[in-house]
Amino acid sequence: MAKSFLTGRWLLLLLLTLLSLIFCLNTGAVTLQWQALWSCLNADCQQPAQWQLLWQLRLPRLLLGFVAGAGLALCGALLQHLSRNPLADPYLFGVIAGAGLGATLATLYLPASVIALPLAAFIGALLAIALVLAFALLGRWQQLDLFILSGVAVSFLFSAITALLLYQHDPFAANRVMFWLMGSLSRASYQPLWFILPCLLLCLMLACLFRRQLDAMLWSDQTAISLGVPVQPLRLLFLLLTAALTASIVAYCGGIGFIGLMVPHLVRLLLGSQALTLFIGSSLCGGIFLIWVDAGARTLLPNQELPLGVITSACGSLFFLLLLSRRRG
Amino acid sequence: MQPEWVLSCHELSFRWAEAPALSNISLDLQQGERLGVIGPNGAGKSTLLKLLAGLYPATQGEVLLCGQPIRYFNLRARARQLALLSQETEQPQAMTVTELMLLGLLPHKKLWQQNSKSDLIKLQQCLAQVGLTGKQQQQLTDLSGGELQRAQLGRVLMQGASVLLLDEPTNHLDIQFQHQLLQLISSLKLSLVASFHDLNLAASYCDRLLLLSNGVPVAIGTPAQVLTEPLISRVFGRPCLVDNNPFDGKPRLTFAPGVC
Repeated sequence: MAKSFLTGRWLLLLLLTLLSLIFCLNTGAVTLQWQALWSCLNADCQQPAQWQLLWQLRLPRLLLGFVAGAGLALCGALLQHLSRNPLADPYLFGVIAGAGLGATLATLYLPASVIALPLAAFIGALLAIALVLAFALLGRWQQLDLFILSGVAVSFLFSAITALLLYQHDPFAANRVMFWLMGSLSRASYQPLWFILPCLLLCLMLACLFRRQLDAMLWSDQTAISLGVPVQPLRLLFLLLTAALTASIVAYCGGIGFIGLMVPHLVRLLLGSQALTLFIGSSLCGGIFLIWVDAGARTLLPNQELPLGVITSACGSLFFLLLLSRRRG
Repeated sequence: MQPEWVLSCHELSFRWAEAPALSNISLDLQQGERLGVIGPNGAGKSTLLKLLAGLYPATQGEVLLCGQPIRYFNLRARARQLALLSQETEQPQAMTVTELMLLGLLPHKKLWQQNSKSDLIKLQQCLAQVGLTGKQQQQLTDLSGGELQRAQLGRVLMQGASVLLLDEPTNHLDIQFQHQLLQLISSLKLSLVASFHDLNLAASYCDRLLLLSNGVPVAIGTPAQVLTEPLISRVFGRPCLVDNNPFDGKPRLTFAPGVC
């Protein structure tokens, strides 16, 4: 009974994924006829403009949104599982502050180019992760609390440097960096997918393979080790993987907050908290959530695009307040 | 001929930074033997079990599992031979009894391997053994302390190890389940090292007892040899009387109430 109930929910989730992808593909300032959309997808476009709209603008943006949402939610689920802390978030390692500093430096000092900003943001994010790891490794790195606290400290340090740089320079640069930090898929192309998708698939595949080990790690380290789980190497492996995946997403999409924190909680409520269910469910729900948020960001205001982080943070805080009020009730 | 020890150590010591936690522990456990570790709070019972499980590195001496130094075993091979029930301070927010008990199969499964029909049959058997049939889909957070402890024991039984290290296994259990579970472990002919606060339970179900005080072994031997009035009164700091349990003839202790 319970099994068929769960299978039903999975089927519903897959159907929702498919429908969301199709609807969001056709959402925007211009809406195509469904027949035109279908023939364009079958490489039989009637008009070159439609082909360009669909294949060069909408599809890469849709795919990047889905992959970024899936990646952030998966990272959140993994980190919450690994740290046994329901408030863990992919931005735990100071990734967003590091990427912000990189983006600021690129905006202020590098000539504008397509690759400069994401590359600088990625390097900034990696630098933040390296610093967090170095601080944590100096102490007793087995304790996850040290990772989290080092992440908070590095975040503040990088944010302070970013604020100082922006304060001393052109206010327009500050505006550009702020907009980027709030998250956007406006620079979407197929190129970032080659970067983010392998990271996501590797993370998801390893998380599914080590599902039992990760479930055992929900208990104390001693219990997990007595079950034959190499706790410290696995924890380090997944910390590095989630850090790399988050850094690559932030580099291209900016700081899209709350997905990594909120989506795993939603999946636990709907599908359960076993590792396999949580990781696959979070990836699908994170992807669906972000493409709808992006569709909203493009269409809520006429001729204007809202930053994604604004919508995800608003949804996230409302969701948590709802969750809290339900628990109290 | 020397008997085959499943678990043994000689002159085992362990220090926390500069403070000695355990000194000069020597013990040998035969196949199917049940050894109870007793002593006051802070005597080093839990530390000894974790040392025997290979979770802490000994500062002196070595733990041997089936005659081999325990550090030579890889984690999975060790987990197939030896299972540990430690005292958990908190449980996962959302996990069912079945999910917890199936974790016991972890050392026997390859990464990609699914649970088989025989695994599920074994699960049903273990659920029945720990008295949790019908509660398999229940969340751990909805269980009572005793039910949670039984679910943990079920996970240990699912692990199928021949040596069990149990840290206060009868914690939170009512009288009936205390006896039922210790009787079950006795009937399975498993080798057992378990720490106890209830000295009468330890006397009834253990072949030998190890009495610890401040990390030092005070006595090791049969319950009748260890549970003597002068020794127990000295170690626990409370006068006691020892007579025999009328049901099984094992030593029975009665402590003096009130301020001594």
